[in-house]
Parts: sequence; structure tokens; C-alpha cells
Amino acid sequence: MSAPEILWQNVRPLFDALPVTLAVLGLLLVVGLTLGAVLAFAQTYGRRLLRHFCVGYEQLFRGIPPLLVLVIYWGILQSYGTPRILVAALALGMRSAAYQSQIFRGAIQAVPPGQMMAARSLGMSRIQAIRSVILPQAFRLAIPPWSNEYSSVVKDTAFICVIGGLIDLTRQAFMKLAPLSMLRPIGTQLILPYLIILGLFYLALTYGGNGLLALLERRLRIPGFEMKGKVER
Amino acid sequence: MKKSLLVLGCLLAVVGLCMVSAAAATYKVASDTTWPPFEWQAGDGQLVGFDLDVMRLIAIIEDYNIEIVSYSWDSIFIDVGNGSVDIGASGATITAEREAVVDFSAPYWTSNQAVIVMADSGLNIASALSAGMKIGAQIGTTGATWVQEQLIDKGVDVKLVDFTLYPLAVLDLVNGNVDAVVQDEPASRASVAADARLSIVGVIETGEQFGFFVTNGDPNGLLPKINDGLQQLKASTAWADLITAYMGGAALPKIEAAWAAASSYLAAKDVVGFAHALAAGATAP
Amino acid sequence: MPAGKEGHLGDVILRVEDLHKRYGKDEVLKGVSLELRRGETKVIIGPSGTGKSTLLRCINQLSVPDKGRVWLEGVEITHARTNINHIRAQVGFVFQDFNLFSHLTALHNVSLGLIRVRKMAKGAALERAREELARVGLAEKACSYPAELSGGQKQRVSIARALAMDPKLILFDEPTSALDPELIGEVLEVMIQLACGGMTMIVVSHEMGFARAVADKIIFMEGGGILEEGTPTELFTCPRCERTGQFLRKITELYGETDGA
Repeated sequence: MSAPEILWQNVRPLFDALPVTLAVLGLLLVVGLTLGAVLAFAQTYGRRLLRHFCVGYEQLFRGIPPLLVLVIYWGILQSYGTPRILVAALALGMRSAAYQSQIFRGAIQAVPPGQMMAARSLGMSRIQAIRSVILPQAFRLAIPPWSNEYSSVVKDTAFICVIGGLIDLTRQAFMKLAPLSMLRPIGTQLILPYLIILGLFYLALTYGGNGLLALLERRLRIPGFEMKGKVER
Repeated sequence: MKKSLLVLGCLLAVVGLCMVSAAAATYKVASDTTWPPFEWQAGDGQLVGFDLDVMRLIAIIEDYNIEIVSYSWDSIFIDVGNGSVDIGASGATITAEREAVVDFSAPYWTSNQAVIVMADSGLNIASALSAGMKIGAQIGTTGATWVQEQLIDKGVDVKLVDFTLYPLAVLDLVNGNVDAVVQDEPASRASVAADARLSIVGVIETGEQFGFFVTNGDPNGLLPKINDGLQQLKASTAWADLITAYMGGAALPKIEAAWAAASSYLAAKDVVGFAHALAAGATAP
Repeated sequence: MPAGKEGHLGDVILRVEDLHKRYGKDEVLKGVSLELRRGETKVIIGPSGTGKSTLLRCINQLSVPDKGRVWLEGVEITHARTNINHIRAQVGFVFQDFNLFSHLTALHNVSLGLIRVRKMAKGAALERAREELARVGLAEKACSYPAELSGGQKQRVSIARALAMDPKLILFDEPTSALDPELIGEVLEVMIQLACGGMTMIVVSHEMGFARAVADKIIFMEGGGILEEGTPTELFTCPRCERTGQFLRKITELYGETDGA
């Protein structure tokens, strides 16, 4: 068999492992988004005690490497029989929430204070104002920095194999790598190409996701609604 | 009359179910299937390897079921340690530190470390491990430990380069970033057979021994069974056949094909038949 | 009575008593009191930083005064138990910086308050919003976003937004100060129409032509307090305070004699 054929044979199982990576990725983003948004609003509009809690949460989860948080969560939740994908999503999601909270807070604060004033002056309650005026604007402002977090989080999913038995993209590739490298006569020459192909998978995930986000940004675009400093066309 | 019959029937069914499930005890075996020829994933997705087949055959001999799952190396010890996995079978060297966390079976394999260099480098085992050399090894393996304890700690000025995966060490050797790679002998032989540019310049007799392991205190009472099964296996022809098949230098795809052909013997619980067919298929010209 | 105003003034609708407000070390309002009757238009003038804007914000509690009380139609706004949202829905506010909701079209800007605060059905709210936009002369801009509007148009939408709520009175905080000179006229025109139509207004502004045309009373503030209050004629011809006369002369020099029409 030729080298490309061999490589392809070893790449096909990667597609089988892809759903695991995608599932964890999708779930962790949902967890991170929901929790991150809640933290952001709580920290912006909440009372002192709530604010301190949010700051504490952020500092805790931002200080722990993804590998460690996965191991710790698995250690705790394993005895409860929690499904592995859920554990991975929860661990990485709660960590991502700490970063996403900062993104959303920045976006909320980027909304000019006059917007809230105008809303309140009409008689809207704070919650109404947040929902109808602040949130729609903050959401749009949050999309560019959020796509950074997305890209970062895609890479984090490569660690989920520390949860025993979870076969994601990277784990599957590692399982294929040793026998591939021992194929006669050119096994060792296939190591690098194979790893590059693995990298391409992650690149596709990152690029694809960012592309979708750019699409979303375009759909939601409001004439003239941009961050200050953008060039007028 | 009818009512008591119904109750009796239910009771019997329950007892029957218990007996059935007792007879079909299934234990979870975790293995880091990235390490030929002891454990790896075949092209068709089947988990094969020396360790795994020994586990399978022992299970047949001792009449219990096993489910083999692929875990990353670190998580095997964690999960066997806390009991969520019953048996670890992953080319694990028996060490005192590990004994504190898990219980090992009797040793089933004695391993040595091989030293791989580029064939045209002109290095021999002495020069490959001398001062100024860069030696690659997979992180956490006994090969890496040997280099650290027997060379660096004893004052030999070599640099130990860690790799997450053994094939990456080989890649660096080929690219000239390290001068030698230290790795278990069977895997080393397989690598060298796959690339004419590599050669083994020597074998370090570390005398390390592999063992299967279970949770501390052996809650399932598995160690006596494993040790007994191992003894019986070693006494039969199957043991030599397994070694021929996996350690005889056959190309991995050949072993995989032989395994697929021989797997019917496993289903038929024919220990000797399986090993014989495997060896025959692996060594056929 | 300024020419062009119909009807006569009604009962007292707004009462402000002894407002004090401090920002850090600065006391910006030093005991300000005033009254406003239904249909009355009062224009507040004075040097910058004398607390004119702060006064307006203290009325609808966008800034909370340190001391003093405010009543709207007999209901004490400053009382702890008053539902401030309820009050604000009855008091329109027009900002110097417009503060239109940037993510909504002009139409939705005007209708949002009706939908959320008045709990109107969407259809009815949009209908009413269209009417208000037509009233300020911007019917054709209903589907434009704020960024697509000129300053004058933005401010007119802002007025429409306040009007849609059927407010008891409207507070204007320097409504034309952020506009290019050519655009001031269209906004003043709308404001004059409102005043002549009987709307109760307090306007903080430098536009003397406007004040002369429609103000029932002009209030001169300086140093955090009201120095003088009187009809335009009184203040321009025979002000009680020297300072008032000084200021008015300066302002008229700078801004010229515009009648606002």
C-alpha cells in the first residue's frame, strides 16, 4: 500500500472519534456561555457579596490548568456514575465560564452608560433595561473576543483522554501512532505527516467555528453599530 | 394455590437470575493501548497485544468474563486505585512505589531496555550512553527512570529528553535531535524493523518485571485467579505460542490478520487452539 | 404670556423643595426649589457646572439627591416607598447625547417603552410610534438605525420616544448643545410646537431665541442655586441681579438673536 493509502486508513478512525470531541466541545461551550453570562451579570449588577463570589470563582478556575480540572472532576464525579462526556464538558465548561465571564463583562461595560439611563428614564426596571437594551448590544460586542475563547477551548479538548475510557480525537490518534510508526518499511516517516493531519482536524474545528461566528456577526450587524475606532467606509 | 405458585415462580426466577449473573461475572480491564507489541489497536479497531491476550486466556481458564477498555496510562492507576476499574494490564513494571497504590500479580514478563541509534552514527552502547549525549525516552517509563537513576544521578553528563509518546522520540532520533532512544526491547525491535536507518546497539538488562494489578486489598478476589491462570497458561503450549506471535519480530499487520483469523478459537474458549493459530498466522511466510 | 401659546396655566404639577446634591467634595446643588404648573415651560440658563443638568436628573431620580424632596402631582417622588419606575414613565427625559438605543430602528426606539413599560400590544405600540415619528417630521425614517441619522434627526426621534409615553412633563437636558448649528433649528421647531401645544416642559438650554419665544419663566442658576426667576421680558429688560444681566448680555452676543422659528 502506498503512503497516502496507509495514512488514510489511519485517518478514518479519527472521524469515528470526532463526535466525542465535538460533543464535549459543544456541551462545554453551552455550560461556559450560560454560567459565564450569569457570572458577568452578577458581577456587574449584583451586590457586594455576590460580586466577591464571582471574582473568587473566576480566580479559582482561571488558575487551574485544563488537565488538572479534568482529573479532579473525574475523581469526584466518577463514584456518582456521571457519564464521561458530561464530566469532561462540566470540568472544561466551568473553567471556560471564568474566562467567558470576563468577556461578557467587558462587553456589558462597553455599552455606553447613556443606554441604561435612557431605558430607566422611560420607566423600565433594571431587569427590563438589561434584557431589552444592554443584553442585545453586549451580545454583539462580545462575539469577536468570544471567538478567541472558542479557539482556545478547542485546544483544551485534547486533554479529555485523562478521563479513563474517553476516546477523543487526540487519544485515537495516539492509539494509531505507535503501530503506524512500526509499519515496514516507512513507518517512521509517517509519524510527522500523521500528526500534521491530526493538527488539521483541530484547525478545521477552529477555523470552522470561527467562520460560523463571523457569519453570526454579519447576520446581526446593525448599520453603524461598531466599536469606537472603526474606520467609516 | 395459584398465588403461592406465582410467588414461588418469582422467587425461583430471582434466584436463577442471581446465579446467572454470578456465573457471568464481568471484570473491567484497562490498558493503555498505544504500546505494541504488548497492547495496541489493530487496523480494524480490535484491541490486541500480548498483555491483552494473556488476560483473555486467563479469563477463559478461570471462567470469568472481561471487558477490555482503552485508558490513558495515568488514568489506569487512578481508576484501578479507586476501584472503578478492576484490573490493569498495560506493561506495568512492578515497583515499590506502585505497590503502595495497587496490588500486583506474580510477574508475567521480564523486560529489558534497548538502546536505539541511527545505524550510520557509528555509536556503540558505551558511546551512546556517554557524556554529552542526548538520550530520548518516553516520560514516566522505566527507560526514562533508568537513564535518570543510572546515568544522570551517577554523574554521567547526559541529557534526558522527555517525550509524551515513544514514536515522537524515534522521530527526533531520525531528525537528529537526540543521539539515542532508550525504550523497552520488544517495542524497540519493532521500530528498528520498520526503518533501516535505525539499529539497536545494545540491551540493558534491567531485569524489570511486568505485572497485572488490581485494587489494593484485591476486593474482587482476582489475584489468586490471575496467578493460578497464569501458572496454567505458562505450563501449556499457549505461552510459547504467544511469545512467538508477539515477540518474534513479525510485522504488526501480520499479527493483526492472524488474530482476526484466530479469534474464533477465543469464542470457542479454546486457549491452546487460539495461541497456536495466532503463532502460525504471525510466522507464516 | 409669550405670543403663540394657547390656553392658560393649570395647577402645580411638579414641586421641588430644597434639593442638595454633592459629588465628592463639590456641592453641586445648594438648596434648589421650584414649582412647575401644567402647561408651563420653564427654561433654565446659567454658566456650565452650576448644576443645571444635575437638577433635572434629581427630578426623575437618575441622580439621587442628598437632601430635599420632589413631588409629582402630589406624589412624593423622593419617598422611599414610591415606585420610581412608575414615576419615570410619566416624566419624559431628553438627553444632550440623545441616547437612542443603537441596536433598534427609530420605530422600535419609540415603541420599546410602550411595549415594555405600558405593556401595549406590539401592533398598537408600533402604530403609536409611527404617529409620534410623523409628529416630529420623521415618518420616512422609521426603519433607519440611529447611526444612519443626523444629529438633529436623532434628537427628534428622542423627543418622539419621550412623547410616546404620554408624559405629564418633559425634561430637556441641553437638547441642542451637541448639534451642528444647521441642525439646531429642526429640533427647536419641534420643541416650540410642543410648548405651544400645552406641553409642560423644563428646558436647560443656551438657546435664548427659544427662551424668548416660548418660556413662561426663565430661571438663572449660578453656583448651585437659583439666582433669579422671571418672565423673559423681566429678565432681559430689568433683571434684579447684576449677574443675570451680565450673563444674558454675554449669551445674546454669542448666540445671536434667533427667534427659533
